[in-house]
Amino acid sequence: MAHVRTVQPPSTNGPEPVAAGRGAAAEIPAPAPDRRAARQLAITVVADVRRPRLAGLKRTLQALGADPATNAMVPFAALPRTHFARLLVLDPDATADGAPIEPHLVYMADVDEPADAEPALERCLEELVDVAGEGLDRIFGACVGYPPPSRATRALRLAFLHAHAVSAAAAYVNTIGRSVRQILQEEQLRIAIREFLDRRGAELGDREPDEVRTAIRQFVRGRAELAWALTPPPSPSLADRAKDAGHLLALPAGLLALSPVIVPALPLYALALRRQEKRDPDPHISPTRDHVLALAESEDHAPQNQFSAVGFLKAGRLRRLTAEVVTRGIDYAARHVYGHANLAGVKTIHCARWVWLDDHRRLIFASNYDGSLESYNDDFVDKVWWGLNAVFSNGVGWPRTRWLFFDGARQEQAFKDWLRRNQVPTQVWYSAYPQLTALNVENNARIRSGLHQEAMSAKEATRWLRRI
Amino acid sequence: MAAADLSTKLARDDIQGLLASGYGRLPAACYLLLAIEEPRRAGAWLGRLAGKLTTARERPLKTAVNVALASSGLAKLGLPPALGGFSDRFLDGMTASPRSRALGDVGADAPERWRWGGPTTTTVDVLLLLYAADDGLLAALEERLVRPADGLALVQRLDTQWSEREHFGFRDGISQPLVEGLRAGRPDDVISAGEFVLGYRNEHGQLTRRPRVDRASDPRGILPTDSATGDADLGRNGSYVVLRTLSQDVRAFWGFVEGATTNGAGDSGDQAARLRLAAQIVGRWPNGEPLVLAPDGPPETPPQPTNDFRYHDVDAHGERCPLGAHIRRAHPRDSLDPKPGSERSIAIDKLHRLLRRGRGFGAPIAPAAALNGGARDGEERGLHFICLCANIARQFEFVQHTWVNNPKFNGLYDDPDPLLGPAGRTLTVQARPINRRVPGLPSFVGVLGGAYFFLPGVRAVRYLAALAPAAGGR
Repeated sequence: MAHVRTVQPPSTNGPEPVAAGRGAAAEIPAPAPDRRAARQLAITVVADVRRPRLAGLKRTLQALGADPATNAMVPFAALPRTHFARLLVLDPDATADGAPIEPHLVYMADVDEPADAEPALERCLEELVDVAGEGLDRIFGACVGYPPPSRATRALRLAFLHAHAVSAAAAYVNTIGRSVRQILQEEQLRIAIREFLDRRGAELGDREPDEVRTAIRQFVRGRAELAWALTPPPSPSLADRAKDAGHLLALPAGLLALSPVIVPALPLYALALRRQEKRDPDPHISPTRDHVLALAESEDHAPQNQFSAVGFLKAGRLRRLTAEVVTRGIDYAARHVYGHANLAGVKTIHCARWVWLDDHRRLIFASNYDGSLESYNDDFVDKVWWGLNAVFSNGVGWPRTRWLFFDGARQEQAFKDWLRRNQVPTQVWYSAYPQLTALNVENNARIRSGLHQEAMSAKEATRWLRRI
Repeated sequence: MAAADLSTKLARDDIQGLLASGYGRLPAACYLLLAIEEPRRAGAWLGRLAGKLTTARERPLKTAVNVALASSGLAKLGLPPALGGFSDRFLDGMTASPRSRALGDVGADAPERWRWGGPTTTTVDVLLLLYAADDGLLAALEERLVRPADGLALVQRLDTQWSEREHFGFRDGISQPLVEGLRAGRPDDVISAGEFVLGYRNEHGQLTRRPRVDRASDPRGILPTDSATGDADLGRNGSYVVLRTLSQDVRAFWGFVEGATTNGAGDSGDQAARLRLAAQIVGRWPNGEPLVLAPDGPPETPPQPTNDFRYHDVDAHGERCPLGAHIRRAHPRDSLDPKPGSERSIAIDKLHRLLRRGRGFGAPIAPAAALNGGARDGEERGLHFICLCANIARQFEFVQHTWVNNPKFNGLYDDPDPLLGPAGRTLTVQARPINRRVPGLPSFVGVLGGAYFFLPGVRAVRYLAALAPAAGGR
């Protein structure tokens, strides 16, 4: 029997090892199929760093970042349900009125919830502690409140992570319910089918589309390691679906209930906001070239890239309220509208999140996307500017907006400068599948779903074959 | 902002002619890469040159001269190094390490191995572009314009050879954006002037970042005034020049095509199959006809190759012209998101256009001659690729990184540009019922040098020339 083909991405051209994972290089285990589709959990842990330990922590993270998948401290590839993970340090800062902000260590991961564990966060943190163990001491040991290395135990580590875990204000996943294992397996399936067609192309090239599909299905059926592909991926459990439906209805129901208050207040709110928009400074400050070059050094080593940015909220209750409402709206839309490989025309984002920091004075944004930062930015300027404006225009320095949604990010250069200026280095970045774009992942899923459909018209079969 | 500042009426007499024309009527050309040795003399030289520069108002029949400066050249002439407003990419240069990765200048194409523009070669400060109706006129022009006492050293002279076809045998330079206000034509190709000429509205309806200097630093009032800020507008009517010297391995190209169309029994594939695969790599037949319009074979040579086409309606799935073919990724027209086939897709495409002005070098060679060993004649062949753009990051680098070099372009998996990409890449030829993969393409095109330059307006050239004495004749 042929061995299981692993999804081993080709090496990148980068001159030095970089903050891109190697992918789950190990053979994909073939456990019992999931009973239900895993939801994705956006884990965030934020802790203050003791200032004297800051430089040392950065060095430690830099070393870890050179080999995120299999390093000795936190070998992310040993966490097979982790799509993406990052560790980054936020330098000390100060609020507009001079209050100091301590440096932070931020850990973020996008993880498939375990099938049978509640609460999922506990279970995921346990797995992290079990895999990383003392590696965590070397990292979080630089933080305020972490037990000294000699006294760190599993329970204390866990307690620390749990105490510093914060939930995201909004989290986006390209396709809800698609697990790491499914993504890696479906790439394995595509490669196997493609190689089958490479071998048999001459003979199959004259056949009818449906005959070719039949031959492919026979091929897959004959390969034990691809047996899973003949069944659809797990679907959400009844409980999950009930929860989703409840969540879906709760917002409109709540809005309806509050409409006697909201509707009359809305024009007043809009006018107040508009007044502030006109008064807010519109500074357009360019980032320094050194800052940009340093950030660019960690980019474009693989088809995927990461982005982390942090910014202060504008002063006043109005902005805070707006940002709260808008992030909640994004979270709602991400769950109910945009969870199917298309974020309002942008199909290149794998995961993204917004998290409040420092008692809602700052907001951190983190994303995993395909292609260059330039193309990512252009997608924003050209396609989803309105969404970005709604949330980021509440941040200091954002290009001036009009009625919350308009202008702003449409100012190409000012917008690109803002993003770069607020971007922070991500010392450690891991991806379980850095060589797969979101389009690839989606296409692979559709290749699989075309396999278990019993009958297909010639037209459908042709359309399906185009994907391979 | 004052409306006058955003007018699309182009100051043709201040815009260097290269923005308006590739000087097709002047077949002899050379590009001089110069280093500034004595800034004061070089400044004086630049001042004299300013009066001889060909502008967009002229249609030269005998000679043409244009000049561009690298950021090192601007500094040597005395422009303050901290001056804002220039493109970061221009200031950092083409060889900054993130750039090399994004542009694919790694391995054998790494700047360390370049013949010019790399870290180990002499810094190039000035690019002088000379064009003439014949070689004699060109030699005379060169002699007249650059003299030993001018404070300049010749780093390299890039010779060119006029040809309508590039060395692999394909008609080149067919699809060009038309700068609004300078040229009229097909709406899909008419691009806001600000995409190429600084100081005018770009496709976003905005002004691309450009350098401005304090009015006081221009006491003679040489530069135009930016009415929005009152500053002296150093960038207005200027552009950026991307120059890359690319080598072309004609034997590798046609050798691969022959090998890939030869069947297992060792019979040589027929001529039609070879031609088809070569055309699928490029996206056009050798005579320039696009595969989407002529999928069955090269038509009789038309007087002008057709450029009036889009992809989506006729060939959304790449069954006529592969999705990864060179011209389909260098200029995807209406084939990309957010909605292929729509005006929105065209609008995105318009943000990433390049005004190409390059010329080939080396004697042409026929495919058959190259295959028979003729390409070992010691003659170097290639293209001095030149493109002009106002936003290097969004135009040249985006096209190179996100479209040309990207193995994931348009939903593909492992397909960088079949013509320009690195060795070992795959070309997927979309077909019914099954796509065919052509694996193991070797490298056909290498990089021998490159740099970014600023192509100033004529008044800006005069301003820059006058800076040097103030710099103290370093």
